[in-house]
Amino acid sequence: MTDVHTSQADQAGPRDPAAADPEPVLEAGLGERDAADAPVTRPPAGHFGVLAWARWAWRQLTSMRVALVLLFLLALGSVPGSLLPQEGIDPAAVQEYFTAHKTLAPILNRAGLFNVFAAPWFAAIYLLLFVSLAGCVLPRAYRLARSARAVPPRAPRNLARLPNSARYQTGLSPAEASAVAARFLTGRHFRLNRGDGWLSAEKGYRREVGNLLFHVALMGVLVSISLGGLFGYKADRLVVEGGSFADTVTDLDAFHPGHFVSAGDLAPFSLTLNKFDASYIESGQDRDQPSTFNAHITYTAQPGGKARTDSLQVNHPLHVDGTKLYLIGHGYAPVFKVTDGQGKVVYDQATPFLPADQQTYLSEGVVKAPDAKPEQLGFAGVFLPTAVDVNGQLQSAFPAALEPAVSMIAYRGNLGLNSGVAQSVYQLDTTGMQKVATSSQVLTAGQSMKLPNGEGNLTFVGYKQWVSLQVTYDPGQVPALISGIVALAGLLLSFLVRRRRIFVRTYADQAGNTTVDVAGLARSDVGGGFEGEFAELSRDLRDQLTASRKETEVSHG
Amino acid sequence: MALTAIALVAVLGLSACGGGIADNTPASNGNNFVAGDGSSTYYLAGHRTAAPTVSGTTLSGSELNLSSYRGQVVVLNFWGSWCAPCRKEAPTLAVLSEQYQAKKVQFVGVDIRDQASAADAFVQNFGISYPSFNDPADEIALDFRGAVSPAAIPSTLVLDQDHRIAGRVIGEASYGTLNNMLAKLTAGT
Repeated sequence: MTDVHTSQADQAGPRDPAAADPEPVLEAGLGERDAADAPVTRPPAGHFGVLAWARWAWRQLTSMRVALVLLFLLALGSVPGSLLPQEGIDPAAVQEYFTAHKTLAPILNRAGLFNVFAAPWFAAIYLLLFVSLAGCVLPRAYRLARSARAVPPRAPRNLARLPNSARYQTGLSPAEASAVAARFLTGRHFRLNRGDGWLSAEKGYRREVGNLLFHVALMGVLVSISLGGLFGYKADRLVVEGGSFADTVTDLDAFHPGHFVSAGDLAPFSLTLNKFDASYIESGQDRDQPSTFNAHITYTAQPGGKARTDSLQVNHPLHVDGTKLYLIGHGYAPVFKVTDGQGKVVYDQATPFLPADQQTYLSEGVVKAPDAKPEQLGFAGVFLPTAVDVNGQLQSAFPAALEPAVSMIAYRGNLGLNSGVAQSVYQLDTTGMQKVATSSQVLTAGQSMKLPNGEGNLTFVGYKQWVSLQVTYDPGQVPALISGIVALAGLLLSFLVRRRRIFVRTYADQAGNTTVDVAGLARSDVGGGFEGEFAELSRDLRDQLTASRKETEVSHG
Repeated sequence: MALTAIALVAVLGLSACGGGIADNTPASNGNNFVAGDGSSTYYLAGHRTAAPTVSGTTLSGSELNLSSYRGQVVVLNFWGSWCAPCRKEAPTLAVLSEQYQAKKVQFVGVDIRDQASAADAFVQNFGISYPSFNDPADEIALDFRGAVSPAAIPSTLVLDQDHRIAGRVIGEASYGTLNNMLAKLTAGT
């Protein structure tokens, strides 16, 4: 049943032995429709109009084979996404690629290979796959729904041919025996269909219900995922201790909106990072490994709303207004003060440095003072949380800030900011700049470095810590979870419940007795055990017939 | 189980391509702020939404409420001293603010994600004479949620005399674009 794409599996599987009988044992609905919808790989011969072509194309699309091909293409299509630089992830790398490969890059660009997931051909593949799945699952669900409501078919003429059968005699008349059997089977929750001298009973429709649930829930999963892709968003933001941010597009470091997300759809919360604590294991094998992270925050869910405090930990996100806020990283932000050649303070703030070494938290960063006079100033360097001198070389020995120090090198000239081309706040574009000194200078908290010719100075004031937060909104998450659970429940139900039929025929023989033929058929006995059930049923039915016989005798006598 | 496997992989595939870029929303550019593309919109009278009431402290430390400029066209520019496109457009804004002074157009800056000393140096450096809100947490942009919200740094909103949002420029504002909007809005005065 899981094999939805080929309905042939159904036919080839538990093929009713009784189908050889002239009486139709397969349910009219299910069997014939399955045959009609079976994938046709060759166009039918003879008259071939537009409609026939369309039908043929539709069958192709919804066939298992095409779905697999599409799936393979989808996987293949995402390969260039990991081999080539992507616009959405690293536009600078794309630019570099363009300069490095002057002829190849425009060709690749025309094929959309620098933005694979937004390329029309990629969208075409996954839309086709979606249609293929939907085109298969929905009609299937419809058929299952019909099947779950179907009445059991007529009993076959020769019940002895069925895999499980029994025959016994009774003194009751055929009609009486039939009535007793009907009462008995109804009592066992069978669904009945009766005719002249025959009786068909079927049970286990919950299997179809499970099947149906699975298929519908599967569509639910697909819809939920696209819901998340279209209406959800993901954003990153780095916040320094004492700093705040609001969940607006202008205030985010990176923003990955779904197709239908606009700037006004973001949850209007704002947040302040009061303090960040990290503790590390100080000795033993796991030395340098973090043991706890704790970001103490104050937030308001709505402008003008009540301020609340909370603490963010790894895997302990904050839930605000449907969005989730995760703590995904942390680092150090040394505080620098830059005074320019005119004695004016042109920079005085905590500057986030990015960890270059996850073990020791040796971090790299830059300071840009674009409004310094007479020339713009820039500084690049490293922050060492626990600075130690190893043979004349400065290294960080531990991730906690036990002996913080910075080592900075100064530049003057044109930072390239005024040209309007956006640049990374973590990198210095030194093409228009020159080094003020040949080597970098080490500063501990409170120390300053003077630039030559009275061009200003840089003070390392102290340090703060920063955390990086991820804001995620995925409206498809809960529906996807529910659909997943329902799909699983449906799958289990369809596996555990077997659908089985009992046929009864009663007729008078030459001796004037009534012969009762009972036969049983399990349509999908995956777990086995139908034989036992049939034996029990047929024994109980015989007992019922015997008991009824006695009752009749008593009432007659 | 084949279908389950397909559904799983398809689901993974779909989620991988979920992060598309909305037409009107600039997405991340890897420069650690969301930069605009210089696209502008002008709303005709009758199609304008009211701007929220905005008040706060300016960089010079005084209190400012936008409603005190009611009856005047207001240009609200969201900027930061660290942002390259903001530095590029700053001279343009300085010139336009002088040029439209006679027409009673009031320019107001909103300095976001910035620190006082760097911001002061910026204002002095570019000779900007109009006030700027000091808004390190970007809460003023949040106030514009539901109206026409600024969608990148820099963003510029133009409010008409009734303080309805008449124009928006996402990204670096050019002289021509802003001048056009202001000329239309001040035509009667």
